[in-house]
Amino acid sequence: MTDPFDSALDLLRRLNPKHITKNLNALIGLVPDLTEDLLSSVDQPLQISKCKKSGREYLLCDYNRDGDSYRSPWSNEFDPPLSDGTVPSEKVRKMEIAANQAFDVYRELYYEGGVSSVYFWNLDDGFAGVVLLKKSSAATSKNTGTWDSIHVFEALDRPRQAHYKLTSTVILNMENTSDVIGTMDLSGNMTRQIEADLPVEDDNSHIVNIGRLVEDMELKMRNLLQEVYFGKAKDVVNDLRSVSNLTEVNRERAAHSDVMSAMLRR
Amino acid sequence: MSADQTAASFIENAPPGELAEVINDIGSLLDLDKLSIQEKVAPAVEKYNKEQFVTTKLPGGSDLVIVSSYNDLGDGRFFDSESSSSFAYDHSTQKASDVQSHPIDGEHAGTIKTLLRDVGNHVKEHFPSLPAYGVYPTDEGIAILIVGNKYSPSNYWNGRWRSTYIYKPSTSTLTGTIAVDVHYYEDGNVRLVTQKRVNENLRSSTASGIATAIGNVEKKYQEELNKAFGALSEGAFKSLRRQLPVTRQKMDWQKASAYKIGQDIGGGSRR
Repeated sequence: MTDPFDSALDLLRRLNPKHITKNLNALIGLVPDLTEDLLSSVDQPLQISKCKKSGREYLLCDYNRDGDSYRSPWSNEFDPPLSDGTVPSEKVRKMEIAANQAFDVYRELYYEGGVSSVYFWNLDDGFAGVVLLKKSSAATSKNTGTWDSIHVFEALDRPRQAHYKLTSTVILNMENTSDVIGTMDLSGNMTRQIEADLPVEDDNSHIVNIGRLVEDMELKMRNLLQEVYFGKAKDVVNDLRSVSNLTEVNRERAAHSDVMSAMLRR
Repeated sequence: MSADQTAASFIENAPPGELAEVINDIGSLLDLDKLSIQEKVAPAVEKYNKEQFVTTKLPGGSDLVIVSSYNDLGDGRFFDSESSSSFAYDHSTQKASDVQSHPIDGEHAGTIKTLLRDVGNHVKEHFPSLPAYGVYPTDEGIAILIVGNKYSPSNYWNGRWRSTYIYKPSTSTLTGTIAVDVHYYEDGNVRLVTQKRVNENLRSSTASGIATAIGNVEKKYQEELNKAFGALSEGAFKSLRRQLPVTRQKMDWQKASAYKIGQDIGGGSRR
């Protein structure tokens, strides 16, 4: 018998990713025992909240959640307030503040808008964290889209260096609606992982190392998404139906292969 | 939602060519053996098959025939106009059996016969992979269905094109939908789902006029869809995240702590 958790993940890899939150909730309703495992391993589009103290927007995920409250990266306070909410150690919180500032700059450089949040937490032999970025295109356009980046990492202490493990997911949902097109929905998510050993001089080195890892990963994933969404998906459509008459296509192919074999014979 | 409703909603969501895997997953989640899960989801599977124009081969036949609500005779039997036969269809094994003669008669019999030829030629010229089509009498006129599937699970993708048209002789119109469904699932889960309504006034109501109109509608739609990929890539996608900052240089993380938010950094602030 297959492990139910693996079956749940396989199912979520097949069902329409546009409805990930609905399908995830339905799965949890079906098999309540899997609730914790699924919520901590399945990425969903990020929700935005406003920090009551700073007035700035921040992103919600399972990593800044404690019970029904979420911690703001700007104030370090929970909303609704918690007297005993889990917060990082003072040292890790200092790095978290620096990382939030650095990724706010990164967000402006690459996203020119949107919302970013970084959450760190302590590990026995280092620390871990998540870098979140979200941007939605203007709702006025017929071409709309939403990008959610979720980068979860571990930084494990080694002598004069750290071992980083990064798992990155981008959720990209896009829609095009018009009279000539009808509705076109292109939605999904892709995940990539890397590991790296990088030198560490002080706490600031971690921000630099994680920053570069995330920046390189996002560049790679943006290229991958472009290839899959606008290259591969389009190719499959044109594999399903040929715009040109197949008789002509086959005649041209035959003529082309004649030319090729003639050239090879020379 | 009850477990049955949840299972039915998952099946309705199943990508082209992956129904068996979806059913297996649901069976494993509910801790049911193969036969029990098949029995449990049978009504949802029948609905899925008919909506998705599942195809099958008749015993001894080489062409694919469609199973849909338009050629449903009830009691698990469907008919095929091309071979003038009816057959029993098992939704769980996807096999046809017990073929019997089923001549097409009625006022549209002649048109259906010529449409089968002309639509058949159109399908042969434009649907290279697992093509199937059907022409069936309906209360309002004639239903014309076209489906093309391409399955490549070893490369983690599958796709389906479905065209549904109703030809109404009384108004000389062709109405219906074109729907495309593509799934890509290597290191992720990406889905393209499109739907376009068709509403054409026919210039000629002959079979060849109808087939020509179908060809034109589909060609126009496919060209617009190809353009729409470019529009999304150049429009929404670019506006979400830049490939590089305006400066064409990666971020200087060493200086990151020295950056002050809102200042002119690299490409400058837009806020």
